[in-house]
Amino acid sequence: MSRIRVENLSIKFRIYHDRSPSLKGYFADIFKRQSRNAYSDFWAVKDVSFEIGAGDRVGVIGHNGAGKSTLLKALCRVYESSDGKIAVDGRIAPLLEIGAGFHPEFTGRENIYLNGAILGYSKQQLSLIEPEVITFAELEEFIDTPVKYYSTGMYMRLAFSLATAMHPDILVLDEIFAGGDASFLAKARARMHALIDKANIMIMVSHDHELVKSLCNRVIWMDHGKVVADGAPEDIVERYLTGKLNG
Amino acid sequence: MKANARSFFRELYDSRNVLLQLVSQQLILRYRRTALGYLWTLINPLLMMSVMALVFATLFKADLKTFAVFLFAGMIPWNFFSAVVTQCGASFINNEGLIKKIYLPKVIFPLSITFALLIDSALSFLALITIIIVIGGSLSWAVLFIPIAYILLFFFALGIGLITSVATVFFRDLQHVILIAMQGLFFLTPILYKHDALAGKVAWLIGLNPIVPFIELFRAPLYQSSLPNVSIIVQGLLLSLSAMSIGALVFLRHEKTIVFRL
Repeated sequence: MSRIRVENLSIKFRIYHDRSPSLKGYFADIFKRQSRNAYSDFWAVKDVSFEIGAGDRVGVIGHNGAGKSTLLKALCRVYESSDGKIAVDGRIAPLLEIGAGFHPEFTGRENIYLNGAILGYSKQQLSLIEPEVITFAELEEFIDTPVKYYSTGMYMRLAFSLATAMHPDILVLDEIFAGGDASFLAKARARMHALIDKANIMIMVSHDHELVKSLCNRVIWMDHGKVVADGAPEDIVERYLTGKLNG
Repeated sequence: MKANARSFFRELYDSRNVLLQLVSQQLILRYRRTALGYLWTLINPLLMMSVMALVFATLFKADLKTFAVFLFAGMIPWNFFSAVVTQCGASFINNEGLIKKIYLPKVIFPLSITFALLIDSALSFLALITIIIVIGGSLSWAVLFIPIAYILLFFFALGIGLITSVATVFFRDLQHVILIAMQGLFFLTPILYKHDALAGKVAWLIGLNPIVPFIELFRAPLYQSSLPNVSIIVQGLLLSLSAMSIGALVFLRHEKTIVFRL
């Protein structure tokens, strides 16, 4: 049984106002303490707590910059919490940005192995799923061509097929719905739904509210780094769209 | 701390597949679609060293053959060290895209660079041995010490590389400082000249230079056909142990803040 427990999670970013800190600046600061305000702290996620259990399909909604993606990245361990705790039981799949780690000079096949390794698949697993990934991406002809010669659609198809080839316990999605032509899109949607069905827990960030309503059984609304509402999809999405906090 | 170390190595072991991929990416990629391919890795330093041998043997009025062996034996460890320190310095910055998107144990970035450079260096060492034999030089059993010299040098360079990898993220200027520092250090290291040749007011600089023992570790077996002094071996051992400990300390302390500074 998978479970995610987040307790008082806060993530702080330091924003540098003018430039990246230089050695010169660092030493200058040692001598004159008053010039300390070269940066300010920004809390992308502030004091967030929730628990997600098996079977939950959670959609995270909110304005741009509300901290949704930062929260997902923290669950996937990209960002360390500045405060609070995250406990994750189960294999979590980082499906944050598909195609991250693709190397343009490598062929499609080589990228399956490179990107697959980054996604945490073993070599044996990869050689097992390789034919299926290639067939699904409809790239049989071009699989041994460097991906820098791929069209955007081909690139997306390969990245999507690979990222969705394995079934994790906990699925974390950040606005990924594959590009491609209409026929691929339909196929991709079916594959995505199968992936979501098999996952023990699903968390997604999306601005497509219809999609959230159709896929999720719980919605978390974030605003300025905080959870402002958490509940049934219809209700929360409705309140979010009308901009009202208290029904 | 103990549990920390265990989970650190466990995680590293779990990511061995990525490590392997990154090493092979580093080895293969540079020479994609070139006719000679990987051979360039060998040709490049060997040609460079040959030109230097020719110029400086004439300048110092030394016997070309002997000087070439002398120079090569110093250049091999130096090239490895300097490449590790400079390339590790860019390792996080160059992989920013990946680090911000997917969690990977950060150490695999400097580590994969160091492994790839070790393979490069070992292969150019083999090429060097071939050249020594072809030009009629003699090799003694002392050459068997070279793997040990490599192990000591590997950990020394990795330790310093871990420090530069973290430091450049926090102070971007360092990338340029390192380049200049390595150039200066090259001339302050007895590679072109013998250890005792730089006398006078600057001699103490060589005494402080931590790379000197490692040059000796390679030069003794190759050039003098003898095992290095025990005191040199001990110096090398202590230096690589301390470099590794400081490197690991700096790295583990800042590992989690790196992503916020990229």
